[in-house]
Amino acid sequence: MQRMIWVLWPSFVVAGIAEAVFFTLIDPQELYLFGEPVSFSRIATYSIGFFAFWALCAASSMFTCFIQRSSSEINKCPLPQRERPKDCPKFDE
Amino acid sequence: MAQPAPKPESTGAKVIPIKEASLYEAHKKIYARSVSGRFATWRWILVWATQIIYYGLCWLEWNGRQAVLFDLVERKFYIFGLVFWPQDVFYLAVLLIISALSLFLFTAVAGRLFCGYACPQTVYTEVFMWVEKLIEGDRPARMKLDAAPMTSGKLARKAAKHAVWLAIALWTGFTFVGYFTPIKTLASSVLNWQLGPWETFWIFFYGFATWGNAGFMREQVCKYMCPYARFQGVMFDPDTLIVTYDAERGEPRGARSKKADHKAAGKGDCVDCGICVQVCPTGIDIRDGLQYECIGCSACIDACDQVMDKMGYPQGLIRYSTEHALAEHWGSKQIVAHILRPRTLLYGAVLATIIGAAAVGLTMRQPLKVDVLRDRATLAREVEGGLIENVYRLQIMNLAEEPRRFALAVTGLKGIQLATESIVEIPPAATQAVSVRVRVEPDAGKRGSNLIHFEVRALNHDEVFVREKASFLLP
Repeated sequence: MQRMIWVLWPSFVVAGIAEAVFFTLIDPQELYLFGEPVSFSRIATYSIGFFAFWALCAASSMFTCFIQRSSSEINKCPLPQRERPKDCPKFDE
Repeated sequence: MAQPAPKPESTGAKVIPIKEASLYEAHKKIYARSVSGRFATWRWILVWATQIIYYGLCWLEWNGRQAVLFDLVERKFYIFGLVFWPQDVFYLAVLLIISALSLFLFTAVAGRLFCGYACPQTVYTEVFMWVEKLIEGDRPARMKLDAAPMTSGKLARKAAKHAVWLAIALWTGFTFVGYFTPIKTLASSVLNWQLGPWETFWIFFYGFATWGNAGFMREQVCKYMCPYARFQGVMFDPDTLIVTYDAERGEPRGARSKKADHKAAGKGDCVDCGICVQVCPTGIDIRDGLQYECIGCSACIDACDQVMDKMGYPQGLIRYSTEHALAEHWGSKQIVAHILRPRTLLYGAVLATIIGAAAVGLTMRQPLKVDVLRDRATLAREVEGGLIENVYRLQIMNLAEEPRRFALAVTGLKGIQLATESIVEIPPAATQAVSVRVRVEPDAGKRGSNLIHFEVRALNHDEVFVREKASFLLP
């Protein structure tokens, strides 16, 4: 849950800024999608654009979260303690 | 920064256990006690002022259209008499700079004034808490209600609260969308159940965010989500007015009888009633000193002043003060004198300069813009009479909200003339592309590119005039 908020909230803020800057400078009707001019209404393009920015920023945040895990977190045994075999070297972790 | 008040029991050496604390503690619901007083009144005044503007402004008419409308579909922003086009993005940047500088200035002078009184998070939380108090009662009643098992009475109260909250939230969402798409059309589509999918989505999205943020998230938005709370500290200095507990006067704190001479008993003015903690919307104890969670709402000042009145002590055990004032025992006169200091003067001067420049820029702004594009298909061609012709596309934007006729002219080469219509009429606040053919004698200039100018002047408005560069090619 915490990680989800870490990912979703900052990306929401940055996506909002990116959306404003991008569509202030570029008219959605001048965009091309797969070689065809964008045929959606402007409101639809803005909305889809926002979610695309959000998804991209979230992907970046998610990657940050992923690589900032400490080595102990990565090396940790994924099983809960009671399910670990007795002779496991990480039994007591 | 203010020092944490010494705890009465802190005597002797102590081993401080090092504990890795999570940034996000397990959330305990905060039941803020309602408060009245000087600062609470100010907050309500600002709640009313900001919300009358927010809910009302979108319904105002101006020149037969919505007075304030950020028309995303047409890509035009209307603010009363002004119409902004994407070409005016410069003013948006200026507006952002002005907002940032104002925040710096206000924070340097008196801390988180914005947070405590005008931030939408504070404003809607205040409104939602007022509804909550009306339906569920004040702090003790709410705590009791939440602890009680679910009964039909409890269900009815909770349902009523959420119904009112949702109504406010949806109206807020509707108003928000009404700033981006004309609100009267929006209202009639809502009434006829003909709302477009995206409008519906954004009304519910914004409404849901309002309901969640003001009803549930509340102080957590300030503590965990707001970036301003994290960097406010760098804008404070020892002369910044902040909500401060006067530890020197208050400590040692403790309960006492109203009649007892507490000073003779070695006690300070703080009766340790804990009301300052109960009223705090972020649930902190201001007596521990300045904390990043403090949004500067001053609820604790109002609450403590009432307790001081009851005890017959002077008000202001918790008050707006500065670090310097507390250390040097300054009066209000000296505190006010220190508002003017290099930092605030510099912020103020830069702010005033930018506002002034933007105002001058706006008043001198031409309600006409012209872009010249060369026709790429035909560079230069010879036409009847041996003249050389170049073709251009003039993108003429009439920013005025009335139809205007513009006279086109071209200068820069000997005998240069327009071969097309020299008067164009453009509807109000519209763009029109005009194809223009320009001719000269073949020997009027050098071979290759020659600098010419297009001049566009509004008829009957001589001051509305734009001169744009272009190049004329001679073979």
